Amino acid sequence: MNVSIKKEAQITYSDHTPLDEKKYLNEYIIEVQDLEKSFNGIKAVDGINLKVRNGELFSLLGPNGAGKSTTIRMLTTVLKPSNGDARIGEYSLINEKNKIKPLIGVCPQENVIFEALTAEDNVEFVGRMHGMEPAEIKRRTQTLLEKMNIAGRKRSAKTFSGGMKRRLNLVMSLIHQPQILFLDEPSAGLDPQARRLVWDFIKDLKNTGMTIILTTHDMIEADTLSDHIAIMDHGKIIASGTLEELKRSSHNGNIIEFSFSSKEELIQAKNKLKRIINVKKITEMDNNKLSISFTGGVKAFKQEILGEIESFKTLHFREDSLEDIFLKLTGRRLRD
Amino acid sequence: MYSIDLKAWYIAKKNVKEKLKNLGSMFWTIAFPIMMLIVYKLAFSGDDGSYMINGLTTFDVEFPGIVVYTIGMSTVTSAVMFAMSKKDGTLERIDSMPVSRGNVFLGAVISETIFMNVQLVLIFAFGYGVLGAHFELAMMPLGYLIAVIYGIAAIGLGLIIASFLKSPEGANGFAMLAHMCLMFISGSFFPLDNGGVFFTPQYWVKQVYLQLTVVGDSFSDKLYSGTIITPTSTATLIPIWGGLLMILAFTALFIILGVKIFQKKTIL
Repeated sequence: MNVSIKKEAQITYSDHTPLDEKKYLNEYIIEVQDLEKSFNGIKAVDGINLKVRNGELFSLLGPNGAGKSTTIRMLTTVLKPSNGDARIGEYSLINEKNKIKPLIGVCPQENVIFEALTAEDNVEFVGRMHGMEPAEIKRRTQTLLEKMNIAGRKRSAKTFSGGMKRRLNLVMSLIHQPQILFLDEPSAGLDPQARRLVWDFIKDLKNTGMTIILTTHDMIEADTLSDHIAIMDHGKIIASGTLEELKRSSHNGNIIEFSFSSKEELIQAKNKLKRIINVKKITEMDNNKLSISFTGGVKAFKQEILGEIESFKTLHFREDSLEDIFLKLTGRRLRD
Repeated sequence: MYSIDLKAWYIAKKNVKEKLKNLGSMFWTIAFPIMMLIVYKLAFSGDDGSYMINGLTTFDVEFPGIVVYTIGMSTVTSAVMFAMSKKDGTLERIDSMPVSRGNVFLGAVISETIFMNVQLVLIFAFGYGVLGAHFELAMMPLGYLIAVIYGIAAIGLGLIIASFLKSPEGANGFAMLAHMCLMFISGSFFPLDNGGVFFTPQYWVKQVYLQLTVVGDSFSDKLYSGTIITPTSTATLIPIWGGLLMILAFTALFIILGVKIFQKKTIL
């Protein structure tokens, strides 16, 4: 299958590929090309390109307003792109969106459920819309609701807690066993226990071979679940890769955090550290803490850094986190 | 584009379930028509007979107005339903599934029509059966059909209103305002000698319906030759079949406009 871009930046497909080779070529189940969405002249998504492998969990990480949800709304066919196109499965988002709909499941950011109905009625309705048989709907509904700990509730969904509504929202997106699942902030607003339940459930889904596209501004969530992460900011993808690749590319070196008894101690240490060539970045944190990024490994740490700092309260080694990577790429914290 | 299929029925089923659990909606469906009939009956109980025509009481003559008012409430309920689906994201969720907007609209019309029929059965049973409004039994199916067709026009008007309003509360307020204004302008509440009445579907529904009440069995004879004879509002030279055509035209216009505008405003 050849992918070419027209003048209008739409993808066309000249499909001469024998059937048995298709699967191989569809290793990338989603290919996004120059996708763009503007609202009143303001670009919410600014010409993004990305590829998602079949069966992987792909996270779009970014702060609120980065364009993650707009991207998801375009890929799930409910929002028409201003420019560009995407291939989902074998179909063009622009020209064949009705063929894409049966392939996908969508769990929106807000709890979009029919509140007057019971959990079973909500899930059954989605199953019916996907043309499923009643017996199959009933069987799968029971399994999914049990897994999510919301089975057997006969009262309407409006009586559910926020966490239960969130889980029902997720079940509704799964009833028809979609090939591709879009999860927009799936654990937003959940307590730690419910969040863990949702994460475990997502991991189980991943093990079934389902392709999952997840948006989040929670770095731990992205770190825990993702095979591949794309970082979005101001409508653009500013970095993309596996967590390891992102860490390597961010090149922050080693990170060590010192805490000091007083502000004076901290300033004294900071002034000394500034003179060390291997120290690449010093960040002052709350509670008299310094975060130091340095190169040269253990040798540099022992000989140069420890030698300069006369007294400190605690020290803590850590690896680059997604937060560090985001900070380096954008110059601000993810939650700013 | 997906064609209309059985999914419209499942959408209607879902809408009916939602409405049954909504107390406000059930009030408008069941309690309100009965309340209106009692209010009208009490209001005209001291009638001295001066407004009678062909031996009919004022209550008999005003009865079509009650039908128009009650069925016209579909404007409000459908406006709220569509505005709600926009606001709570359920419309967008349905849009991400393999189901056409045609099914969504048809599902809404089916569910609204089901409740409209419940209202009509209640009005007919209570009005004719309990309160003794006059009506030729043979004409009842035609009267019922006219009311249902008008109800579909009311749904179309609700759809137009929902297209422009972002919240169900706003849709409720505006639709109620529009419905009440049209009731007054059309002369459905009380006689109005003004040309503006011709531009409202309510006028034509009430007048044709009134013919059924007044002339009874002679309706079919007067269908082609007669005029919209009205003791209660502005008369026209348009024959009864013309009035029927006007009702169909208004219904088609409101539904087509409603669908077009709603599509334009909600396909992002």
